[in-house]
Amino acid sequence: MGNKILYIEDNPDNMMLVQRALEARGYHLLKATKGLDGVATAEAEDVDLILLDINLPDIDGYEVARRLRSSEKRALTTVPIIAVTANALKGDAEKALNAGCDVYMSKPINIRELWARVEAFVPTP
Amino acid sequence: MTHSDGSQSFEMSSTPGTEVLAKHGKLSYLSHLQCSGCGREYSFQEIHTFCPDCQSPLLSIYDLEHVRQELNREEISRRRKGMWRWHELLPVQDPNNIVFLGEGDTALLQVPNAGKALGLTNLYVKDESTNPTGSFKARGLAAAVSKAKELGVKKVIIPTAGNAGGAMAAYAARAKIQALIYMPKDTPHANVEESLMAGAEIVLVDGLISDAAGMAGEKARAEGWFDLSTFKEPYRMEGKKIMGYELAESFGWSLPDVIIYPTGGGTGLVGMWKAFAELEELGWLENTKRPRMVAVQADGCAPVIKAFEAGAAFCDFWIDAHTVASGLRVPKSFADALILKDLRDSNGTAVAVSDQSIMEAQKELGRLEGIFSAPEGAATYAALKELIRRGWVQPDEHIVLFNTGSGLKYLNPNR
Repeated sequence: MGNKILYIEDNPDNMMLVQRALEARGYHLLKATKGLDGVATAEAEDVDLILLDINLPDIDGYEVARRLRSSEKRALTTVPIIAVTANALKGDAEKALNAGCDVYMSKPINIRELWARVEAFVPTP
Repeated sequence: MTHSDGSQSFEMSSTPGTEVLAKHGKLSYLSHLQCSGCGREYSFQEIHTFCPDCQSPLLSIYDLEHVRQELNREEISRRRKGMWRWHELLPVQDPNNIVFLGEGDTALLQVPNAGKALGLTNLYVKDESTNPTGSFKARGLAAAVSKAKELGVKKVIIPTAGNAGGAMAAYAARAKIQALIYMPKDTPHANVEESLMAGAEIVLVDGLISDAAGMAGEKARAEGWFDLSTFKEPYRMEGKKIMGYELAESFGWSLPDVIIYPTGGGTGLVGMWKAFAELEELGWLENTKRPRMVAVQADGCAPVIKAFEAGAAFCDFWIDAHTVASGLRVPKSFADALILKDLRDSNGTAVAVSDQSIMEAQKELGRLEGIFSAPEGAATYAALKELIRRGWVQPDEHIVLFNTGSGLKYLNPNR
């Protein structure tokens, strides 16, 4: 198993925090700041896990998850997806899981929890 | 005030405990803040929320060695009643910043009728309903608003299931700090009214406290409000921990065998466990025995129970949270890791109870003991029955239930 994690997130502060945290554990982070770019990166690269923000500037995270799960690239139908969102509005967690995400996390992202959630799918390199 | 030679003195204050300042010359022995996750240290003289590095709650660390040298427990017991008689172990530096509405020193009631009904000889209720605004939330918000005042904060914001909002509104009013509250639209009517009465602005949210938290957090970031969300600032826990100090004092400087606590955000549970560690370090306990802590949640929102039973270090976000006990409708606490750790460190457990059992327990506490408890408080009595059924508690153990608020706050004016 590899160590490649794709983080789809438009907030630079969150991106930097997560990058620092995951690289400190030896993971390799791929970054996308828009939903469509994220889908394209996932199609082009072999990723082992996807961290997915829900509020994105073009298509939202639910739509990203749906597109990944219906991709012709078979690996994307099963790649672990962790949804991460700041606006935990009513039903957001359900919507994320229904769209195909495996886990739901609300911001602020506790780094120890993030490590634990990621390691549950992708062991530390 | 600070004198030209660098020494400090304080004005006399009507706040309990602060009369003795002339003797020690120091109101608080707070030393620094420390991240509960990564251990990084922060100054208490600046405004902090949670750790920016690992996004875990910050803990207040005190110079307990000097407290031990300069203060004894008997002196605290002689002071006028109220939470602030423990001021050396609270975070406020200047007595003029203490916002006191009468919080603390709630009754520890022995409940022999309920005990007899359950076959227990040493059953107690710590009745928090006599706090200002009728709930235990007063303690945490008294500490947090006082410290916010000291740090020059002008406007505070909070997401709430109800009682924390009412408490924040009251303390902010006294402190002349602007207050903004996000609460679910089905929050008990009394919480809405008391908040408005105290001059707070309210936003009713179509969702749960987690939804309110997301919206309040966004507002805080956008407009510079100071966020007093549970564990997203360091000081609410300090007010709540005093419940642990009071218990120790009430039991003759030892601790009960079991504490059964309704757990939403978990500030009180984590705070009391911190208090017990501080008490031990201060050498104020007669023995090293610690209580087994029990977290109680409703079976319609039981993330802590699920994680505890699974052996997990964090809670999963609880989908479709629902319960009559609005204070327990917390899909995931920001301090879930601390709650789970403290439960395990105490050899405690976690119990889920049904809404029906909560309502039955509420009636039973009223009928047997004359206590009109909040549903969250009644949940502890329902949980106790389950623990007896499991054989988890013994008949002669000293058991404390926490009634976190008054049932009067949950009356439905339309009924």
